[in-house]
Amino acid sequence: MTRRVVLVDDHGLFLAGVRAELGDAVDVVGEAGTVAEAVPLIKEQDPDVVLLDVHLPDGSGDAIINAVAPERPGVRFLALSVSDAVEDVIAVIRAGARGYVTKTISGDELATAIERVASGDAVFSPRLAGFVLDAFRAGERVGGDAELDELTPREREVLQLIARGYMYKEIAARLRLSVKTVESHVSNVLRKLQLSTRHELTRWATQHRLV
Amino acid sequence: MSYVALPMFTSSTDERVIAGVCAGIARALDVDVTLVRLVFALLALAAGAGILLYLALWAYGRSKRPLWAVLLVVVAGALLLHAVGVSDRSVAGIALVAAGLGFAWRQGGRFRADAPLSYGGLALVAAGAVLLLQGGRPTASLLAPGAIAGALLLVAGPWLWRLALERDTERAARIRSEERTEVAARVHDSVLQTLALIQRHAQEPRRVAAIARRQERELRGWLYGDQPLGDETASVFAALSAAAADVEELHGVRVELASAGDCPVDDATGALVLAAREAMTNAAKFAGVDEVDVFLEVTDTAISVFVRDRGAGFDRAAVPAGRRGLVDSVEGRLERAGGRAKVVSRPGAGTEVELRLPRSER
Repeated sequence: MTRRVVLVDDHGLFLAGVRAELGDAVDVVGEAGTVAEAVPLIKEQDPDVVLLDVHLPDGSGDAIINAVAPERPGVRFLALSVSDAVEDVIAVIRAGARGYVTKTISGDELATAIERVASGDAVFSPRLAGFVLDAFRAGERVGGDAELDELTPREREVLQLIARGYMYKEIAARLRLSVKTVESHVSNVLRKLQLSTRHELTRWATQHRLV
Repeated sequence: MSYVALPMFTSSTDERVIAGVCAGIARALDVDVTLVRLVFALLALAAGAGILLYLALWAYGRSKRPLWAVLLVVVAGALLLHAVGVSDRSVAGIALVAAGLGFAWRQGGRFRADAPLSYGGLALVAAGAVLLLQGGRPTASLLAPGAIAGALLLVAGPWLWRLALERDTERAARIRSEERTEVAARVHDSVLQTLALIQRHAQEPRRVAAIARRQERELRGWLYGDQPLGDETASVFAALSAAAADVEELHGVRVELASAGDCPVDDATGALVLAAREAMTNAAKFAGVDEVDVFLEVTDTAISVFVRDRGAGFDRAAVPAGRRGLVDSVEGRLERAGGRAKVVSRPGAGTEVELRLPRSER
Protein backbone atom coordinates (compact mmCIF):
# COMPACT_ATOMS: atom_id res chain seq x y z
CA MET A 1 0.00 0.00 0.00
CA THR A 2 1.33 3.38 -1.01
CA ARG A 3 1.45 5.79 1.88
CA ARG A 4 -0.04 9.25 1.50
CA VAL A 5 2.53 11.82 2.54
CA VAL A 6 2.54 15.59 3.07
CA LEU A 7 5.91 17.37 2.84
CA VAL A 8 6.47 20.45 4.98
CA ASP A 9 9.68 22.35 4.25
CA ASP A 10 10.38 25.91 3.22
CA HIS A 11 13.26 25.03 0.91
CA GLY A 12 11.77 24.45 -2.52
CA LEU A 13 14.96 22.91 -3.85
CA PHE A 14 15.07 20.39 -1.05
CA LEU A 15 11.37 19.54 -1.45
CA ALA A 16 11.89 18.85 -5.14
CA GLY A 17 14.86 16.64 -4.29
CA VAL A 18 12.93 14.62 -1.72
CA ARG A 19 10.00 14.22 -4.09
CA ALA A 20 12.30 12.96 -6.84
CA GLU A 21 14.17 10.58 -4.52
CA LEU A 22 11.00 9.10 -3.08
CA GLY A 23 9.61 8.54 -6.59
CA ASP A 24 6.76 6.05 -6.56
CA ALA A 25 7.55 4.74 -3.10
CA VAL A 26 5.00 7.10 -1.58
CA ASP A 27 2.13 9.25 -2.77
CA VAL A 28 2.95 12.91 -2.08
CA VAL A 29 -0.47 14.51 -1.62
CA GLY A 30 0.62 18.00 -0.64
CA GLU A 31 3.47 20.38 0.09
CA ALA A 32 3.65 23.36 2.40
CA GLY A 33 6.37 25.83 3.29
CA THR A 34 4.99 27.45 6.44
CA VAL A 35 3.13 26.53 9.61
CA ALA A 36 0.15 28.58 8.43
CA GLU A 37 -0.04 26.67 5.14
CA ALA A 38 0.70 23.28 6.62
CA VAL A 39 -1.97 23.10 9.34
CA PRO A 40 -5.07 23.44 7.10
CA LEU A 41 -3.41 21.33 4.38
CA ILE A 42 -2.75 18.43 6.74
CA LYS A 43 -6.22 18.66 8.25
CA GLU A 44 -7.74 18.58 4.77
CA GLN A 45 -5.58 15.81 3.31
CA ASP A 46 -5.44 13.64 6.44
CA PRO A 47 -2.26 11.88 5.22
CA ASP A 48 -0.58 8.83 6.72
CA VAL A 49 2.69 10.63 7.36
CA VAL A 50 3.85 14.23 7.48
CA LEU A 51 7.53 14.81 6.72
CA LEU A 52 8.30 17.83 8.79
CA ASP A 53 11.16 20.32 8.81
CA VAL A 54 11.98 21.50 12.33
CA HIS A 55 12.46 25.17 11.43
CA LEU A 56 9.90 27.02 9.36
CA PRO A 57 9.71 30.74 8.57
CA ASP A 58 6.69 31.34 10.82
CA GLY A 59 7.34 28.88 13.62
CA SER A 60 8.69 25.46 14.44
CA GLY A 61 7.59 21.97 13.50
CA ASP A 62 6.19 21.20 16.92
CA ALA A 63 3.66 24.03 16.47
CA ILE A 64 2.20 22.09 13.53
CA ILE A 65 2.06 18.87 15.52
CA ASN A 66 0.34 20.63 18.41
CA ALA A 67 -2.21 22.22 16.08
CA VAL A 68 -2.99 19.11 14.07
CA ALA A 69 -2.69 16.19 16.47
CA PRO A 70 -5.88 16.76 18.52
CA GLU A 71 -8.05 16.80 15.39
CA ARG A 72 -6.18 14.24 13.30
CA PRO A 73 -4.82 11.66 15.73
CA GLY A 74 -4.15 9.24 12.86
CA VAL A 75 -1.53 11.47 11.23
CA ARG A 76 2.03 10.46 12.07
CA PHE A 77 4.93 12.88 12.00
CA LEU A 78 8.50 12.24 10.96
CA ALA A 79 10.94 15.08 11.53
CA LEU A 80 13.45 15.62 8.76
CA SER A 81 15.98 18.28 9.50
CA VAL A 82 19.45 19.59 8.80
CA SER A 83 19.73 20.49 12.43
CA ASP A 84 21.01 18.00 14.97
CA ALA A 85 20.77 20.48 17.82
CA VAL A 86 19.53 18.73 20.93
CA GLU A 87 16.77 21.21 21.68
CA ASP A 88 15.31 20.84 18.18
CA VAL A 89 15.26 17.08 18.44
CA ILE A 90 13.68 17.12 21.86
CA ALA A 91 11.08 19.68 20.84
CA VAL A 92 9.57 17.68 17.98
CA ILE A 93 9.85 14.34 19.73
CA ARG A 94 8.17 15.67 22.87
CA ALA A 95 5.47 17.23 20.70
CA GLY A 96 4.70 13.77 19.37
CA ALA A 97 6.82 13.08 16.29
CA ARG A 98 7.40 9.36 15.73
CA GLY A 99 10.93 9.82 14.56
CA TYR A 100 13.78 12.06 13.64
CA VAL A 101 16.10 11.68 10.68
CA THR A 102 18.65 14.04 9.19
CA LYS A 103 18.46 15.41 5.66
CA THR A 104 21.50 13.46 4.52
CA ILE A 105 19.41 10.26 4.67
CA SER A 106 19.21 8.40 1.36
CA GLY A 107 15.97 8.13 -0.58
CA ASP A 108 15.60 4.42 0.13
CA GLU A 109 16.20 4.84 3.82
CA LEU A 110 13.71 7.68 3.90
CA ALA A 111 11.06 5.56 2.21
CA THR A 112 11.69 2.81 4.78
CA ALA A 113 11.47 5.33 7.60
CA ILE A 114 8.15 6.66 6.27
CA GLU A 115 6.73 3.15 6.03
CA ARG A 116 7.93 2.39 9.55
CA VAL A 117 6.41 5.56 11.02
CA ALA A 118 3.16 4.98 9.10
CA SER A 119 2.79 1.56 10.67
CA GLY A 120 3.19 3.04 14.13
CA ASP A 121 6.85 2.38 14.80
CA ALA A 122 9.56 4.83 15.72
CA VAL A 123 12.58 5.91 13.71
CA PHE A 124 15.77 7.13 15.31
CA SER A 125 18.79 8.49 13.53
CA PRO A 126 22.15 7.35 14.95
CA ARG A 127 22.67 10.79 16.40
CA LEU A 128 19.29 10.82 18.10
CA ALA A 129 20.00 7.37 19.54
CA GLY A 130 23.31 8.63 20.93
CA PHE A 131 21.67 11.62 22.46
CA VAL A 132 18.92 9.56 24.08
CA LEU A 133 21.50 7.21 25.60
CA ASP A 134 23.31 10.21 26.95
CA ALA A 135 20.20 11.87 28.35
CA PHE A 136 19.02 8.72 30.09
CA ARG A 137 22.40 8.05 31.62
CA ALA A 138 23.62 11.45 32.73
CA GLY A 139 21.98 13.48 35.43
CA GLU A 140 19.68 12.47 38.21
CA ARG A 141 16.04 11.62 38.08
CA VAL A 142 13.63 14.20 39.39
CA GLY A 143 10.98 12.09 41.07
CA GLY A 144 8.42 10.89 38.58
CA ASP A 145 7.94 7.39 37.31
CA ALA A 146 10.98 5.13 37.50
CA GLU A 147 9.63 2.97 34.70
CA LEU A 148 9.55 6.00 32.41
CA ASP A 149 12.82 7.48 33.55
CA GLU A 150 15.07 4.48 33.04
CA LEU A 151 15.95 2.47 29.96
CA THR A 152 16.00 -1.29 30.28
CA PRO A 153 19.33 -2.98 29.47
CA ARG A 154 17.77 -4.35 26.28
CA GLU A 155 16.56 -0.92 25.16
CA ARG A 156 20.00 0.44 25.89
CA GLU A 157 21.55 -2.29 23.76
CA VAL A 158 19.20 -1.59 20.87
CA LEU A 159 19.87 2.16 21.02
CA GLN A 160 23.59 1.57 21.14
CA LEU A 161 23.42 -0.48 17.97
CA ILE A 162 21.31 2.18 16.24
CA ALA A 163 23.94 4.75 17.20
CA ARG A 164 26.59 2.47 15.74
CA GLY A 165 24.75 2.58 12.44
CA TYR A 166 22.93 -0.75 12.52
CA MET A 167 19.57 -1.13 10.81
CA TYR A 168 16.65 -2.82 12.59
CA LYS A 169 17.16 -5.99 10.59
CA GLU A 170 20.85 -6.12 11.54
CA ILE A 171 20.06 -5.43 15.17
CA ALA A 172 17.52 -8.21 15.22
CA ALA A 173 20.04 -10.67 13.78
CA ARG A 174 22.76 -9.62 16.18
CA LEU A 175 20.62 -9.78 19.31
CA ARG A 176 18.72 -12.84 18.08
CA LEU A 177 15.38 -11.05 18.26
CA SER A 178 12.63 -10.57 15.72
CA VAL A 179 12.50 -7.26 13.86
CA LYS A 180 9.09 -6.72 15.47
CA THR A 181 10.67 -6.96 18.93
CA VAL A 182 13.38 -4.48 18.00
CA GLU A 183 10.70 -2.12 16.74
CA SER A 184 8.75 -2.42 19.95
CA HIS A 185 11.88 -1.64 21.99
CA VAL A 186 12.43 1.51 19.96
CA SER A 187 8.77 2.49 20.33
CA ASN A 188 9.10 2.06 24.08
CA VAL A 189 12.14 4.32 24.11
CA LEU A 190 10.19 6.91 22.14
CA ARG A 191 7.36 6.74 24.66
CA LYS A 192 9.80 7.25 27.51
CA LEU A 193 11.40 10.11 25.65
CA GLN A 194 8.00 11.77 25.34
CA LEU A 195 6.75 11.13 28.85
CA SER A 196 9.87 11.01 30.97
CA THR A 197 10.46 13.61 33.63
CA ARG A 198 14.15 12.84 33.52
CA HIS A 199 16.33 15.65 34.62
CA GLU A 200 18.41 15.99 31.46
CA LEU A 201 15.32 15.97 29.26
CA THR A 202 13.32 18.38 31.35
CA ARG A 203 16.30 20.66 31.75
CA TRP A 204 16.66 21.06 28.01
CA ALA A 205 12.94 21.28 27.62
CA THR A 206 12.47 24.01 30.20
CA GLN A 207 15.55 25.92 29.08
CA HIS A 208 13.99 26.18 25.68
CA ARG A 209 10.46 26.64 27.01
CA LEU A 210 9.15 23.49 25.48
CA VAL A 211 7.03 22.42 28.43
CA MET B 1 7.70 56.52 13.04
CA SER B 2 5.15 56.41 15.81
CA TYR B 3 3.49 59.46 17.22
CA VAL B 4 1.37 60.08 20.24
CA ALA B 5 -1.96 61.84 20.14
CA LEU B 6 -1.12 63.66 23.32
CA PRO B 7 -4.53 64.61 24.73
CA MET B 8 -6.01 61.26 23.73
CA PHE B 9 -4.93 59.55 26.87
CA THR B 10 -7.30 57.52 29.00
CA SER B 11 -6.76 57.21 32.68
CA SER B 12 -5.16 53.90 33.52
CA THR B 13 -6.92 51.60 35.93
CA ASP B 14 -4.21 49.02 36.38
CA GLU B 15 -1.36 51.31 37.40
CA ARG B 16 -3.30 54.01 39.16
CA VAL B 17 -2.56 55.49 42.53
CA ILE B 18 -5.35 58.10 42.61
CA ALA B 19 -7.33 58.28 39.39
CA GLY B 20 -4.70 56.91 37.03
CA VAL B 21 -4.07 60.23 35.27
CA CYS B 22 -0.28 60.05 35.67
CA ALA B 23 -0.19 56.46 34.48
CA GLY B 24 -2.44 57.39 31.55
CA ILE B 25 -0.15 60.23 30.52
CA ALA B 26 2.90 58.04 30.95
CA ARG B 27 1.36 55.44 28.67
CA ALA B 28 0.25 57.97 26.07
CA LEU B 29 3.71 59.57 25.99
CA ASP B 30 5.54 56.29 26.44
CA VAL B 31 7.60 57.72 29.28
CA ASP B 32 8.24 56.46 32.77
CA VAL B 33 5.27 57.00 35.08
CA THR B 34 7.59 58.13 37.88
CA LEU B 35 8.73 61.05 35.75
CA VAL B 36 5.15 62.18 35.19
CA ARG B 37 4.38 61.86 38.90
CA LEU B 38 7.47 63.91 39.71
CA VAL B 39 6.28 66.68 37.40
CA PHE B 40 2.89 66.74 39.08
CA ALA B 41 4.46 66.74 42.51
CA LEU B 42 6.64 69.73 41.53
CA LEU B 43 3.64 71.53 40.13
CA ALA B 44 1.66 70.72 43.27
CA LEU B 45 4.37 72.59 45.17
CA ALA B 46 3.38 75.67 43.22
CA ALA B 47 0.43 76.41 45.44
CA GLY B 48 -1.38 73.25 44.46
CA ALA B 49 -1.40 73.99 40.74
CA GLY B 50 -0.37 70.41 40.08
CA ILE B 51 -3.40 69.17 41.96
CA LEU B 52 -5.70 71.33 39.92
CA LEU B 53 -3.98 70.32 36.73
CA TYR B 54 -4.47 66.74 37.76
CA LEU B 55 -8.15 67.34 38.42
CA ALA B 56 -8.54 69.15 35.10
CA LEU B 57 -6.87 66.31 33.22
CA TRP B 58 -9.02 63.82 35.02
CA ALA B 59 -12.13 65.77 34.09
CA TYR B 60 -10.84 66.03 30.52
CA GLY B 61 -10.15 62.33 30.41
CA ARG B 62 -13.83 61.75 31.01
CA SER B 63 -15.24 64.49 28.75
CA LYS B 64 -12.60 64.68 25.98
CA ARG B 65 -12.86 68.47 25.60
CA PRO B 66 -9.35 69.96 25.61
CA LEU B 67 -10.39 73.64 25.59
CA TRP B 68 -12.43 73.24 28.72
CA ALA B 69 -9.61 71.51 30.46
CA VAL B 70 -7.07 74.21 29.53
CA LEU B 71 -9.44 76.97 30.57
CA LEU B 72 -10.13 75.18 33.82
CA VAL B 73 -6.42 74.85 34.47
CA VAL B 74 -5.62 78.50 33.76
CA VAL B 75 -8.57 80.00 35.63
CA ALA B 76 -8.37 77.68 38.59
CA GLY B 77 -4.62 78.10 38.79
CA ALA B 78 -4.80 81.89 38.69
CA LEU B 79 -7.55 82.01 41.29
CA LEU B 80 -5.72 79.67 43.57
CA LEU B 81 -2.45 81.53 43.30
CA HIS B 82 -4.18 84.81 43.94
CA ALA B 83 -5.90 83.38 46.97
CA VAL B 84 -2.66 82.27 48.57
CA GLY B 85 -1.20 85.74 48.07
CA VAL B 86 0.90 85.47 45.00
CA SER B 87 1.38 88.80 43.23
CA ASP B 88 -0.51 89.61 40.05
CA ARG B 89 2.79 89.57 38.26
CA SER B 90 3.47 86.00 39.36
CA VAL B 91 -0.05 84.95 38.48
CA ALA B 92 0.49 86.40 35.04
CA GLY B 93 3.74 84.42 34.86
CA ILE B 94 1.98 81.25 35.80
CA ALA B 95 -0.73 81.99 33.27
CA LEU B 96 1.94 82.41 30.60
CA VAL B 97 3.50 79.10 31.56
CA ALA B 98 0.10 77.45 31.36
CA ALA B 99 -0.56 79.11 28.01
CA GLY B 100 2.80 77.80 26.79
CA LEU B 101 1.79 74.32 27.80
CA GLY B 102 -1.55 74.72 26.11
CA PHE B 103 0.17 75.98 22.99
CA ALA B 104 2.45 73.00 22.88
CA TRP B 105 -0.54 70.74 23.22
CA ARG B 106 -2.56 72.52 20.59
CA GLN B 107 0.04 71.90 17.90
CA GLY B 108 -2.12 69.41 16.13
CA GLY B 109 -2.78 67.83 19.46
CA ARG B 110 0.17 65.48 19.20
CA PHE B 111 3.89 65.21 19.58
CA ARG B 112 5.65 63.44 16.82
CA ALA B 113 9.13 62.08 17.36
CA ASP B 114 10.38 63.83 14.23
CA ALA B 115 8.35 67.02 14.78
CA PRO B 116 10.26 70.12 15.87
CA LEU B 117 10.02 71.15 19.47
CA SER B 118 7.15 73.53 20.13
CA TYR B 119 9.13 76.79 20.09
CA GLY B 120 6.00 78.88 20.63
CA GLY B 121 5.16 76.90 23.72
CA LEU B 122 8.72 77.13 24.97
CA ALA B 123 8.80 80.93 24.42
CA LEU B 124 5.59 81.39 26.38
CA VAL B 125 6.87 79.22 29.21
CA ALA B 126 10.14 81.14 29.26
CA ALA B 127 8.33 84.48 29.33
CA GLY B 128 6.20 83.24 32.19
CA ALA B 129 9.33 82.11 33.99
CA VAL B 130 10.96 85.51 33.61
CA LEU B 131 7.86 87.20 35.02
CA LEU B 132 7.82 84.76 37.90
CA LEU B 133 11.44 85.20 38.77
CA GLN B 134 11.06 88.96 38.75
CA GLY B 135 8.01 88.72 41.00
CA GLY B 136 10.29 89.18 43.97
CA ARG B 137 7.80 88.09 46.61
CA PRO B 138 9.29 85.42 48.92
CA THR B 139 6.50 82.90 48.35
CA ALA B 140 6.74 83.27 44.61
CA SER B 141 10.51 82.91 44.52
CA LEU B 142 10.19 79.79 46.60
CA LEU B 143 7.41 78.26 44.58
CA ALA B 144 8.28 79.45 41.14
CA PRO B 145 11.28 77.22 40.40
CA GLY B 146 9.18 74.12 40.96
CA ALA B 147 6.52 75.37 38.63
CA ILE B 148 9.01 76.29 35.96
CA ALA B 149 10.90 73.05 36.20
CA GLY B 150 7.66 71.10 35.99
CA ALA B 151 6.38 73.08 33.06
CA LEU B 152 9.65 72.85 31.16
CA LEU B 153 9.81 69.11 31.73
CA LEU B 154 6.25 68.72 30.56
CA VAL B 155 6.89 70.64 27.35
CA ALA B 156 10.39 69.48 26.52
CA GLY B 157 10.37 66.12 28.29
CA PRO B 158 8.69 64.00 25.65
CA TRP B 159 10.92 65.53 23.01
CA LEU B 160 14.08 64.76 24.97
CA TRP B 161 12.79 61.29 25.67
CA ARG B 162 12.19 60.65 21.97
CA LEU B 163 15.67 61.91 21.22
CA ALA B 164 17.16 59.33 23.58
CA LEU B 165 15.00 56.59 22.07
CA GLU B 166 16.14 57.51 18.58
CA ARG B 167 19.75 57.31 19.64
CA ASP B 168 19.13 53.79 20.96
CA THR B 169 17.46 52.80 17.70
CA GLU B 170 20.41 54.11 15.73
CA ARG B 171 22.80 52.17 17.92
CA ALA B 172 20.84 48.96 17.45
CA ALA B 173 20.85 49.52 13.69
CA ARG B 174 24.60 50.03 13.71
CA ILE B 175 25.14 46.80 15.66
CA ARG B 176 22.89 44.98 13.21
CA SER B 177 24.83 46.25 10.25
CA GLU B 178 28.12 45.28 11.88
CA GLU B 179 26.76 41.77 12.42
CA ARG B 180 25.66 41.60 8.83
CA THR B 181 29.14 42.55 7.72
CA GLU B 182 30.62 39.76 9.81
CA VAL B 183 28.18 37.19 8.45
CA ALA B 184 28.92 38.39 4.92
CA ALA B 185 32.65 37.99 5.54
CA ARG B 186 32.10 34.47 6.89
CA VAL B 187 29.89 33.48 4.02
CA HIS B 188 32.37 34.88 1.55
CA ASP B 189 35.31 33.09 3.11
CA SER B 190 33.58 29.76 3.34
CA VAL B 191 30.32 29.17 1.54
CA LEU B 192 31.04 31.20 -1.60
CA GLN B 193 34.50 29.68 -1.95
CA THR B 194 33.01 26.23 -1.57
CA LEU B 195 30.36 26.92 -4.18
CA ALA B 196 33.07 28.09 -6.56
CA LEU B 197 35.03 24.89 -5.89
CA ILE B 198 31.93 22.78 -6.49
CA GLN B 199 31.34 24.44 -9.85
CA ARG B 200 34.91 23.71 -10.91
CA HIS B 201 34.71 20.09 -9.82
CA ALA B 202 31.22 19.41 -11.12
CA GLN B 203 32.51 16.38 -13.06
CA GLU B 204 33.73 14.63 -9.91
CA PRO B 205 30.69 13.80 -7.82
CA ARG B 206 32.67 12.27 -4.94
CA ARG B 207 34.85 15.30 -4.57
CA VAL B 208 31.85 17.60 -4.77
CA ALA B 209 30.08 15.62 -2.05
CA ALA B 210 33.16 15.76 0.16
CA ILE B 211 33.57 19.51 -0.30
CA ALA B 212 29.89 20.07 0.46
CA ARG B 213 30.08 17.91 3.58
CA ARG B 214 33.11 19.74 4.89
CA GLN B 215 31.41 23.07 4.33
CA GLU B 216 28.29 21.80 6.03
CA ARG B 217 30.26 20.78 9.11
CA GLU B 218 32.03 24.10 9.30
CA LEU B 219 28.89 26.14 8.90
CA ARG B 220 27.04 24.01 11.42
CA GLY B 221 29.85 24.39 13.90
CA TRP B 222 29.73 28.13 13.47
CA LEU B 223 25.93 28.44 13.57
CA TYR B 224 25.13 26.09 16.42
CA GLY B 225 28.46 26.06 18.18
CA ASP B 226 27.95 22.39 19.03
CA GLN B 227 30.94 21.22 17.05
CA PRO B 228 33.92 23.33 17.97
CA LEU B 229 35.79 22.43 14.81
CA GLY B 230 38.10 25.35 15.15
CA ASP B 231 39.47 23.83 18.32
CA GLU B 232 40.19 20.17 17.80
CA THR B 233 41.61 19.83 21.27
CA ALA B 234 38.38 20.95 22.94
CA SER B 235 36.99 17.43 23.40
CA VAL B 236 37.18 13.90 22.06
CA PHE B 237 34.03 14.50 20.06
CA ALA B 238 35.50 17.64 18.48
CA ALA B 239 38.71 15.80 17.62
CA LEU B 240 36.72 12.90 16.18
CA SER B 241 34.62 15.34 14.11
CA ALA B 242 37.75 16.87 12.70
CA ALA B 243 39.21 13.45 11.91
CA ALA B 244 35.95 12.43 10.24
CA ALA B 245 35.96 15.60 8.16
CA ASP B 246 39.52 14.90 7.03
CA VAL B 247 38.69 11.33 6.04
CA GLU B 248 35.62 12.55 4.15
CA GLU B 249 37.67 15.02 2.23
CA LEU B 250 40.57 12.71 1.49
CA HIS B 251 38.58 9.66 0.50
CA GLY B 252 35.20 10.96 -0.61
CA VAL B 253 33.05 8.95 1.79
CA ARG B 254 30.37 10.15 4.15
CA VAL B 255 31.11 9.67 7.84
CA GLU B 256 28.01 9.67 10.06
CA LEU B 257 29.12 10.58 13.53
CA ALA B 258 26.95 9.97 16.59
CA SER B 259 27.88 10.37 20.22
CA ALA B 260 26.69 9.74 23.73
CA GLY B 261 28.75 11.75 26.18
CA ASP B 262 32.05 13.50 25.68
CA CYS B 263 35.30 14.04 27.57
CA PRO B 264 38.49 16.06 27.34
CA VAL B 265 41.41 15.08 25.15
CA ASP B 266 44.58 13.72 26.78
CA ASP B 267 47.38 11.42 25.58
CA ALA B 268 45.32 8.26 25.83
CA THR B 269 42.16 9.65 24.25
CA GLY B 270 44.34 11.33 21.64
CA ALA B 271 45.66 7.89 20.68
CA LEU B 272 42.08 6.63 20.60
CA VAL B 273 41.10 9.37 18.14
CA LEU B 274 44.13 8.58 15.94
CA ALA B 275 43.26 4.89 15.97
CA ALA B 276 39.66 5.75 15.09
CA ARG B 277 40.89 7.92 12.25
CA GLU B 278 42.97 5.02 10.97
CA ALA B 279 39.93 2.75 11.14
CA MET B 280 37.81 5.29 9.24
CA THR B 281 40.53 5.58 6.61
CA ASN B 282 40.65 1.80 6.22
CA ALA B 283 36.90 1.63 5.80
CA ALA B 284 36.99 4.44 3.26
CA LYS B 285 39.83 2.88 1.27
CA PHE B 286 39.01 -0.82 1.30
CA ALA B 287 35.33 -1.36 2.08
CA GLY B 288 34.09 0.18 -1.17
CA VAL B 289 31.19 1.99 0.46
CA ASP B 290 29.89 5.55 0.43
CA GLU B 291 29.15 5.75 4.10
CA VAL B 292 30.90 4.93 7.35
CA ASP B 293 29.15 5.06 10.73
CA VAL B 294 31.09 6.21 13.77
CA PHE B 295 29.76 6.21 17.32
CA LEU B 296 31.53 7.64 20.35
CA GLU B 297 30.28 6.50 23.72
CA VAL B 298 31.71 7.88 26.94
CA THR B 299 30.59 6.20 30.15
CA ASP B 300 31.98 6.34 33.67
CA THR B 301 34.06 3.23 33.05
CA ALA B 302 35.18 3.46 29.44
CA ILE B 303 35.46 5.47 26.26
CA SER B 304 34.44 3.49 23.19
CA VAL B 305 34.52 4.31 19.51
CA PHE B 306 32.78 2.10 16.97
CA VAL B 307 33.70 2.43 13.32
CA ARG B 308 31.42 0.48 11.06
CA ASP B 309 30.90 -0.06 7.36
CA ARG B 310 28.62 -2.31 5.32
CA GLY B 311 31.33 -2.97 2.76
CA ALA B 312 33.43 -5.79 1.41
CA GLY B 313 34.68 -7.10 4.74
CA PHE B 314 37.68 -9.36 4.93
CA ASP B 315 38.97 -12.60 6.32
CA ARG B 316 41.47 -11.85 8.98
CA ALA B 317 43.61 -14.86 8.10
CA ALA B 318 43.82 -13.86 4.46
CA VAL B 319 44.64 -10.17 4.73
CA PRO B 320 47.46 -8.96 2.55
CA ALA B 321 50.55 -7.84 4.42
CA GLY B 322 50.05 -4.11 3.71
CA ARG B 323 46.58 -4.11 5.16
CA ARG B 324 47.68 -6.23 8.10
CA GLY B 325 50.04 -3.45 9.10
CA LEU B 326 47.20 -0.95 9.17
CA VAL B 327 45.12 -3.17 11.39
CA ASP B 328 48.10 -3.59 13.65
CA SER B 329 48.65 0.11 13.80
CA VAL B 330 45.10 0.54 14.97
CA GLU B 331 45.40 -2.23 17.54
CA GLY B 332 48.97 -1.51 18.56
CA ARG B 333 48.40 2.18 19.02
CA LEU B 334 45.44 1.62 21.29
CA GLU B 335 47.14 -1.08 23.33
CA ARG B 336 50.03 1.24 24.08
CA ALA B 337 47.49 3.73 25.44
CA GLY B 338 46.05 1.03 27.70
CA GLY B 339 43.07 0.18 25.53
CA ARG B 340 41.93 -2.63 23.33
CA ALA B 341 40.76 -2.87 19.74
CA LYS B 342 38.42 -5.47 18.39
CA VAL B 343 37.87 -6.02 14.70
CA VAL B 344 34.82 -7.95 13.58
CA SER B 345 34.67 -8.63 9.87
CA ARG B 346 33.40 -11.20 7.43
CA PRO B 347 33.81 -11.13 3.69
CA GLY B 348 30.70 -9.51 2.21
CA ALA B 349 29.22 -8.57 5.58
CA GLY B 350 31.10 -5.39 6.41
CA THR B 351 33.51 -4.53 9.16
CA GLU B 352 33.19 -3.10 12.60
CA VAL B 353 36.15 -1.87 14.61
CA GLU B 354 35.50 -1.38 18.29
CA LEU B 355 38.06 0.74 20.16
CA ARG B 356 37.79 0.74 23.89
CA LEU B 357 39.74 2.67 26.45
CA PRO B 358 39.08 1.99 30.16
CA ARG B 359 38.56 5.03 32.32
CA SER B 360 38.83 3.58 35.81
CA GLU B 361 41.85 5.61 36.92
CA ARG B 362 40.15 8.89 36.08
